[in-house]
Amino acid sequence: MIGVSLLSFFVMHLAPGEPTALFTDPNINPADLARIRVNWGLDQPIFVQYFYWLGNVLRGDFGTSYTTGQPVLTEVLQRLPATLLLMIPAYILTFLITVPLGVISAVKKGSWFDNLVTLFSFAGMAMPSFWLGLMLMLLFSVKLGWLPAVGMYDVGAGDWGLGARVFDLLRHMILPLLTMTLLSLAGITRYQRAAMLEVLDQDYIRTARAKGLPERVVIFKHALRNALIPIVTILGLSLPGLFSGAFIIETIFAWPGMGRLGVMAIFQRNYPLIMGIVIFSALLIMLGNLLADIGYALVDPRIRYGKS
Amino acid sequence: MGRLKKFAVLVAVLFCFIGLSFLLGCAGQPTTKTKLIKLPDPAQADPNGKLVFSLLGEVSILNPILSTDTSSSAVEGTIFTGLTRINEKLEVVPDLARSWEVSADGKVWTFYLRQDVKWHDGVPFTADDVVFTFNAILNPKVNSVRRSDYIIDDQPIKFKVLNNFTVQAILPKPFAPFLVRSGISLIPRHLLAGQDINTAKFNRQPVGTGPFKFKEWVTGNQLTVERNNDYYLGRPQLAAIIFKIIPDENSQLVALEAGEIDEAGIPPKDYARLKAMDGLNVFESDNLGYTYLGFNLAQPKFCDKRIRQALAYATDREQLVRIIFKGLASPAYAPSAPISWAYSDEVAKYPYNLQKARELLRVAGAENLEFTILVNQGNKEREKAAVILQQQYKKIGVKVTIRVMEWLALLKIINSPNGPKDFDAILMGWSLGLDPDSYSIWHSSQYPKGFNFINYNNPEADRLLAAGRTTIERSKRQEIYAKLWQTIALDQPYILLWYPKGVVGVRERVGGLSEPGPAGLFLNLQDVFVTK
Repeated sequence: MIGVSLLSFFVMHLAPGEPTALFTDPNINPADLARIRVNWGLDQPIFVQYFYWLGNVLRGDFGTSYTTGQPVLTEVLQRLPATLLLMIPAYILTFLITVPLGVISAVKKGSWFDNLVTLFSFAGMAMPSFWLGLMLMLLFSVKLGWLPAVGMYDVGAGDWGLGARVFDLLRHMILPLLTMTLLSLAGITRYQRAAMLEVLDQDYIRTARAKGLPERVVIFKHALRNALIPIVTILGLSLPGLFSGAFIIETIFAWPGMGRLGVMAIFQRNYPLIMGIVIFSALLIMLGNLLADIGYALVDPRIRYGKS
Repeated sequence: MGRLKKFAVLVAVLFCFIGLSFLLGCAGQPTTKTKLIKLPDPAQADPNGKLVFSLLGEVSILNPILSTDTSSSAVEGTIFTGLTRINEKLEVVPDLARSWEVSADGKVWTFYLRQDVKWHDGVPFTADDVVFTFNAILNPKVNSVRRSDYIIDDQPIKFKVLNNFTVQAILPKPFAPFLVRSGISLIPRHLLAGQDINTAKFNRQPVGTGPFKFKEWVTGNQLTVERNNDYYLGRPQLAAIIFKIIPDENSQLVALEAGEIDEAGIPPKDYARLKAMDGLNVFESDNLGYTYLGFNLAQPKFCDKRIRQALAYATDREQLVRIIFKGLASPAYAPSAPISWAYSDEVAKYPYNLQKARELLRVAGAENLEFTILVNQGNKEREKAAVILQQQYKKIGVKVTIRVMEWLALLKIINSPNGPKDFDAILMGWSLGLDPDSYSIWHSSQYPKGFNFINYNNPEADRLLAAGRTTIERSKRQEIYAKLWQTIALDQPYILLWYPKGVVGVRERVGGLSEPGPAGLFLNLQDVFVTK
């Protein structure tokens, strides 16, 4: 974690530009900017700044955002739920859809179903998320008027009851969730199909079939469990991707999540906020890898933790 | 499955996609009909109406002396007011100050305040609040970028309470831009005195004197202000205004078309389509600003002004405006803006003439001129302009390379504290203040630290710039600035390219708008309404 923070801190300061440069406006005097930089401590040598920052973090103080004057921790915690609200369902949906799709494609290799899935997977991989998002918005919000286009709540939702608000939130979630899931589906379905095909060629599958086991048992009990192992790895590795993908989705759908906050912080060179987000993302990704490791134990009998 | 069958499926799917884009695209095709502006009947105003604005950027901080972003300013404009404000003609008119007077020597400004104003929490507004605000800005510990606005020749302006409703500003020397700067929004002393203004809780739950009161801020999502029944210019018609944050321009347009927001800026590419759309009024207006190609005069290759003039002759502004903006901008010649009172058209214009351009280059011995244009990434208009200029200059044998850089990286180059700065020419724009004073852009003292990063240095221009800001009478200032624009045009340190126009779409249900202009359509917020 210290390694992550050290590296990010220095890379961040290596990037050209600094936070007050954004105020380039003939009506603003550079002397004011110099004074504000001193107020922010940016006149100190960089390693002094780092240890100052680290000391504060160890005491639970992540600093104050330059643009809002708010504690960084507050800013991040305000945004984190919105991101998780999209990411976790997208993650689960992806898994629930890709596994059956991949398995069926592999089992019925060469069928019209397999070809259709293949085509849509390639289309999905090639499609940029902002384009798909905008197209879905145009179709479902402008043309059909079924779903809201942007945001997380209706503008009047503040006055509604809890039930109506939850329903409103779900309606707003549909399009971003659909976009996210559709796009992550594509690649993982291909992996699942390939993994399943490989397993189906193995000797033990032939043995299972030779024993006269019903095809259902062969597929689900013998083949699927083995084909899931690489997928668990992919899902663990795709977590950071989902995170960075969230930024585009959050921007297009005006979803108030952390991805958007992070990119804005980078454009503004809002150093304390960038560091706060880096630390939180690193924590989340570590958590994701931990979950993937636990997943291995579940699907792969060769891996067992805590027993020697 | 054979190869042929696969191909057939592929073709089928491709057709599906093309079909989908047609379905989505065709209905929105521009039609030839011209649509007139249709404003709603005030009798239909909904007393519980809510107006929904959209903001491209996040709102950062709701304190007018600290905020620097347009989103925060947009919200602050509904909550706070200042001593003075501007009207549709861009004139400074009374607001919290009923009237004001200037002493004969131009140094003492006395403001007489309204006596019927209350802060949103019910506490009366007095002269103490005015002095508190200006002193807070002047406090070096407060992170306000406005501090230097109230410092003249290293001496701060002194603000004095004369009585409960009279305030005096004492300037070290006459300074005309002070009038516009007196309009900064005021903050309440009783809520902020003795606090660290940079991090005060107030900055997220502000209390002002404006037509709307702060109600709720859902970070990153939306912000609501509600009607201030006691507003001194009359009870607002709208019950509330909601600011929805939509960080993507295209999504913003979709939301406008879907009726989720009432107003959005419209980029040139979507102008024709939205202009023809039912239920939407599209307004065009001029902006206070210009885009230019600036030459680094610290580079030997641009020292000779004949070279700059040659490039000016080779610049076809009409073509730029036609291709990039489809008419939604006008060619620029003077470093001012046509809607500013200090604008003057009497400047050297260098009409498009390739022969003169070649001749000048030859006389200056610069036939093999090569240079790089620096332009910031993400600004589509400027990126296109750089490419078009590259083609235009090729016609006179000048070789241009384009260097696209991320905004902050570009700023690092032009803001570097020492000259000469690392660029040849730069494509940028300025948005101008209401006051024509452009000391920070052109005065030789503003190099290398300052916004005169091209190192323009002309004693005559310096003299005019100093005279312009110390003369109070407008007609005299007009003459001074007319001379200044001409002085600059003769030197051509910038080739002025275009004056951009602003285009805004507002849903037809919104009424009570002010005349379209750089100050926006919502100048008289208390009169704005939406129909049922």
